Amino acid sequence: MILRRLQYEMAGRVVGPVVLALEEWQRRQRRRGKKPKESPLGPPLECTRKLKELMSLHYLQGRYADGAVPVAWVTSGFPVEILRPLGFHVVYPENHAAMCGVVRMVTRLSDAVEKEGYSRDLCSYARTDLGSVATGETPAGRLPRPDLLACCTNICQTVLYWYRALAERLKVPLVLVDTPFVYGESKPHHLAYVRDQLAELVEAAERVAGRKVDPAELSEATRLAKEGTRLWAACLATGKHRPAPWTGIDGFFHMAPIVALRGTEECNAYYRILRDELEDRARRGIGGIREERHRLLWDNLPIWFATREISTLLAERGFNFVCTSYTNAWAEAGMRTDPADPIGSAAVAYTHIILNQDLRNRMGILSRLAREYQADGAVLHSDRSCKPYSIGQVDLKERLARELGIRVLLLEADHNDPRAYASEQGENRLTAFMESFG
Amino acid sequence: MRTQYIARQREAHGRKAVAVLPVHYPKEILTALDLLAVELWGPPGAPRGEAAGRLQTYVCSLVRNALAFLAAGKADAVEGVLFPHTCDSIQGLATLATDFGGWGKRAFVFQHPRGPPRPSSRAFVEAEMRSLAAELEPFAGRALEPARLAAAIRLHREVDEARAALLDGRARLPMDDVALYALLRRGEWLWPGDHLAELRAARATLREGPVQPGVPLLVTGYVPEPAGLLQTLGAAGAYVAGDDYAAVGRRVVRGGPERPGDPWAELVERYWAAPPCSTRSADQGQRMRYLSGLLERSGARGVVVHVLKFCEPELFDVPAIRAAFAAKGVPLLYLEGELEAELAGQTVTRIEAFVEMLGTAGRAA
Repeated sequence: MILRRLQYEMAGRVVGPVVLALEEWQRRQRRRGKKPKESPLGPPLECTRKLKELMSLHYLQGRYADGAVPVAWVTSGFPVEILRPLGFHVVYPENHAAMCGVVRMVTRLSDAVEKEGYSRDLCSYARTDLGSVATGETPAGRLPRPDLLACCTNICQTVLYWYRALAERLKVPLVLVDTPFVYGESKPHHLAYVRDQLAELVEAAERVAGRKVDPAELSEATRLAKEGTRLWAACLATGKHRPAPWTGIDGFFHMAPIVALRGTEECNAYYRILRDELEDRARRGIGGIREERHRLLWDNLPIWFATREISTLLAERGFNFVCTSYTNAWAEAGMRTDPADPIGSAAVAYTHIILNQDLRNRMGILSRLAREYQADGAVLHSDRSCKPYSIGQVDLKERLARELGIRVLLLEADHNDPRAYASEQGENRLTAFMESFG
Repeated sequence: MRTQYIARQREAHGRKAVAVLPVHYPKEILTALDLLAVELWGPPGAPRGEAAGRLQTYVCSLVRNALAFLAAGKADAVEGVLFPHTCDSIQGLATLATDFGGWGKRAFVFQHPRGPPRPSSRAFVEAEMRSLAAELEPFAGRALEPARLAAAIRLHREVDEARAALLDGRARLPMDDVALYALLRRGEWLWPGDHLAELRAARATLREGPVQPGVPLLVTGYVPEPAGLLQTLGAAGAYVAGDDYAAVGRRVVRGGPERPGDPWAELVERYWAAPPCSTRSADQGQRMRYLSGLLERSGARGVVVHVLKFCEPELFDVPAIRAAFAAKGVPLLYLEGELEAELAGQTVTRIEAFVEMLGTAGRAA
């Protein structure tokens, strides 16, 4: 245990930084003398290197986490602040699945569980993650075995089935925070139910961690998470500038810390640097793409395996995604948390996630984003793997076009499975969409 | 037929009708308030009407069909709709149809606690039931007196008891599957008292010994649609000996403690006493034990898994079902459908081959 803890700390504080510095040095050596490729995208963000360092360190340290500290695998909408004071190392299977998507491992991993009988019609994140567990393959080198699975249904009901399958496979306890869907305003007994579950969660997590939650530490984790949310919101808000200093696609990658490290000082420190860089770029008129002519809103998850192709295709014609409803989700709900009442406020905050609220609310968010970011078009990613996000998009498309007078495209794809996306067809649709702007 | 029945119920008893989406809901509350529940399982066939294109083709056909049906005014005979939060898609339908058009009359929701029973979820179920009742009271135009709720629970206990007798005594029932399921599924829209009378009449025909000649099968799935499936099974020489359809067997509560004087507590107990169902995120281990028990009790020689395409709750249980029966050496046939009006010829062939294989194996044994 002591040796394992030492390895864990060393990986995070010494070995990791040294290895990453060495990799960076090698990368620079390889690039020395080479002319940068012509690209319609703007100059890369300096912060991207820091992001890579931060997330690589998180995953590198994670390799030594089991046996050293309690480990929890959690869903992206889980109230993770509650686990922070207990010293959990937290892994986000959705974030990990997205990594698999970016490095194009999904087909192989999904095949592994489709052989067991999992349908290809199920969420591709779930198939990716279950496939990674089944085969042991991961771009992260190794994922620490969890002591606890923590799942919140505020993003979908799918996560419950997915985590139940993980619990069965890994033989570890599963804690659930079930958030009733919100029509208009949430009902008092719904919030009471969530509060009761959070109390149950604290007990379960304490059992696994072998110690009690210190209320002061919980309050501090909540404060940090709220601060991180504010900083992330500030980063996103820089997209309101013309030109926007980054792209929505950049945002998809830079959201990793607010998802996976929310409630830590490392997360907040990173976003202060990113915010400063984005504000500096905005002041100097440096755009996320070289020549921004049209500003777009993106709805739904990204198409992880095709982000570069899509952003390049659009940037070549002067189109930039200046805002996305997905990244915005992490800039909103967390604002409702209150360090003075971590549990009660978490019940409210985590119940009011975009996907856990009705379509009127969703329409309101999309309209507001489109107006505030002066978008003159929107792409709604009709995501085969995400029913809660995709149901209603046909109507949203009509309403956005009618009420805001903007052009809207419904693009059918999948967030992680390339087999469900016809790239040529997608390119044709995007090209035709861009041509409609004249 | 349903429209006429709904009209007669209104004329004769003053009962308003409420369309109800699948699967589970506290029907006893509707009965106690003198509201006629008329369940909406699709209906089968391709989605028709202007709203058919408002949902992507990767959304389950039941939800697509229901939206098209509601938006086309086909459910205008009812005065309200109840959306139980069965899955992400029905939850999405509830906000889509009410917020963006498709259903302009009253809408109600019933949210299930997801996950295993816990102190928090037990308290939530009762609060959610009481909340639903409070919303239905002004709609029904009457208060929900405890005595009426108790009477409704008794009535539904009797209905469940009669349905259980027919399903459990399937081999002794001189009725083919098509007729049996037509009877059982009339419970989706008949007033429970009327349904009970039919069930009792059928129950009276139960014989002492087995009368079903074919290969006994266990069928698990969402809803027995198209009805041609049952016809095909019969024609191939098989019958449904063990039923685990979400629409049928998984809604039959056997026993459950009675709580005289506290109908709400009894209603909550009945809620938790229902057979394990994927749509209520039942524990997989518990569900596999239940299915194994059903296989043994029914004497089924094979299993048919009849899944609705894109139905996530059901699809996530399929690997466990496959593994559980493979470990027992029980042959399994996997069928996936989209609420077609007719069974595809290819599926008919697969069913025939499966039953033939089981029949041959049975004779060899």
